[in-house]
Amino acid sequence: MLEVLKTDLTRWVIGPYHPLLPGAMRLHLDLDGEVITEAQVETGYTHRGLEKALEFQAWRALLPYMDRLDPESAVFGELVLCLAVEQLGGITPPPRARAIRVVLSELSRIASHLLYAQRVAKCVGADTAASYIGRDREKILDLFELLTGARFSLHFLRYGGVAADITEGFLERVLEVCELLRYRIKEYNDVFTFNRAFTERARGVAGLELVRCRALGISGPAARASGSGEDLRKQLPYSDYEKLDFDIPSGASGSSDVLDRFLMHFREIEQSMRILRQLSEHMPSGPFRDAQISASFQPPKGESFARVESPRGFLGCHLVSDGERAPARVQLRTPSSFLLGAIPELLRGARVEDASLILASLDLSLAEADR
Amino acid sequence: MNGERLLWVDSWWSALGGDAPLPGPVAAVLALSLAFLFVVLPSAYWISLLHRKFAADLQARVGPNRAGPGGLGQPLADFLKLIQKEGRQKRSRAERIWMGVHTFALFSTLAVLPLGTMALLVDTEISVFIPFWSLLVLALGAMWIGLSRPSVPGWFGGIRAGAQTLTGAFPALLCVLTAGMRADGFSWSALAGSQGANLLSWGLWGQPPFQLIAFGVFLFSGLILLGAEPFDAAVSKGDIQGGVGANLEGRDLAMFSLGRFYGFFFWSVMTVVIFLGAWNLPRGFSDWLREQHLERLLAFLELSVLLAKTWLLMLGVVWFARSNPRVRADQVTELSWRVLGPLALGALLGATLWSAGGWGL
Repeated sequence: MLEVLKTDLTRWVIGPYHPLLPGAMRLHLDLDGEVITEAQVETGYTHRGLEKALEFQAWRALLPYMDRLDPESAVFGELVLCLAVEQLGGITPPPRARAIRVVLSELSRIASHLLYAQRVAKCVGADTAASYIGRDREKILDLFELLTGARFSLHFLRYGGVAADITEGFLERVLEVCELLRYRIKEYNDVFTFNRAFTERARGVAGLELVRCRALGISGPAARASGSGEDLRKQLPYSDYEKLDFDIPSGASGSSDVLDRFLMHFREIEQSMRILRQLSEHMPSGPFRDAQISASFQPPKGESFARVESPRGFLGCHLVSDGERAPARVQLRTPSSFLLGAIPELLRGARVEDASLILASLDLSLAEADR
Repeated sequence: MNGERLLWVDSWWSALGGDAPLPGPVAAVLALSLAFLFVVLPSAYWISLLHRKFAADLQARVGPNRAGPGGLGQPLADFLKLIQKEGRQKRSRAERIWMGVHTFALFSTLAVLPLGTMALLVDTEISVFIPFWSLLVLALGAMWIGLSRPSVPGWFGGIRAGAQTLTGAFPALLCVLTAGMRADGFSWSALAGSQGANLLSWGLWGQPPFQLIAFGVFLFSGLILLGAEPFDAAVSKGDIQGGVGANLEGRDLAMFSLGRFYGFFFWSVMTVVIFLGAWNLPRGFSDWLREQHLERLLAFLELSVLLAKTWLLMLGVVWFARSNPRVRADQVTELSWRVLGPLALGALLGATLWSAGGWGL
């Protein structure tokens, strides 16, 4: 009888392609009943050799590649590269260009955070909330299309500015979307966020302590939910963020569970809307790009490092130029790579049916982690 | 079989030109077939369509709109698509026999499906308990389907289906006992007869608040027992990727879905008959129909009332399911043991004291 009713551990290997996972990865789980006793993560399935590929491209051709670093928030890849190249070439984009970049960044952050919320809702079977959130995210993609002609891979930033000036009525549409989202977030809260069935599933699950965030190098909303309060937009401002009035939300308990991390994303959306309102009402005038920078621009020999606060955290770009037509070296620091390190300890002790929720709560982008 | 209750089949038979009355077994088989063809299958069709339309409307989506005018043919298109596909897994002879027995056991409870005073095929003193057989067969079948899957999700789904069934059945049975206290019996006719057509004379308002508690517990424990949304951790697509039905496809999936629908439908009919006024028409009106010998019209109207209430209840469940996230399997069993069970016990105790004290008189 004992041989029939085996009570030893079960091993479940999930992936690399599985709807439970946030992307192409393999998860090795040891289970005691429905409780995960050990977890290992295997990644690299979407490795495209992006950093190496960039070394073979002309400076001008790098931007579309960086769009693909994290397709869900493409503009941040472009932005970090532009900042690094501009640092290398000693270029200062005009104020209007910097403001347009911030508008695009914050819209991208909201779109990415909404997609995150949609994924979390789907993980727990809240299809109605997921559908509402997806519907509203489309409004932001409409804005991207209005400004850049594209909805995902925008390819809109240029060294020294942006590709085109903002179109007529764009800023008014931004304000409308902000206003719409303001009460839609209340709707999400009513339908989903504060629904007891969700809070019961998310509260106390997969606690991530601030100490562990620091040890693992985790940044972004996951770290801020644990109380880090660190955000590059305030710590090392770029693109005139220092001139804008906004706050960095932060958790107070020194640890965050799935619910804390989820709520943090909505708190950040509110701050992004504050920024967008300010820029929409006071958009600087002037040129939208530095006319001195030609299409065949090549930065001089040297090294630079730029960093931006992407929706997932600290995104860095290290560039080395030897004065040739292509960069000599490109290295990227992506926040998702560091989030991966937390997965084994967060899954350990959790129930197997919470695995997808825990993974979704980290807001991973396997595309940028594997790059 | 209750010979008297087969009048409705005889009545339709004679209306169609049949001279000699039908033999009892033939009439019974005919009644079951008619109930399946004209009640269960159309309900499956319409509820499936309304479910998808209603859910789409709730979720700001369009919903099915391609197959047939306004998407009306979508359930048929889905069904035809599924039955044309064979399952991946070849079944052994023993498995096929087991599946056949299981399907027969599940649908055998059609015999006790209450469809009106004129359409009660089996109306014994324990009629209300017989559907539990069907529901337990359904749950047992789901459990074995899951455990026999060559996948971890199937195995988890099977275990969860078994656990949920056990926890859901206990409070549900207590609620049936509570309703029996009110109706002074457990036959369908007693349960339906203890209520009226008027909303305020429905069973859930009896012996306040005990029947109301029993109604709520019965409804929720049924959803748990059946593994219906949002208590569908055993078959959910999100957290264990399909669970019990993870590897089912084609005809197997069609039969599995039909079986699950049947369980849900039967449960809703039971809820309506026990607590929501059953098929009752205004008493004077039904008496007048009988006096005028309009039995067929009476049967049709009672069935219409019953199905209207049942469908509304099912759509209410859809609304509830679509408005709430899925509950984790351990939370479901905890809800059942720690909340629904004690509430059901309390309701039964209250109803018992009420009946013993004669307060209801």
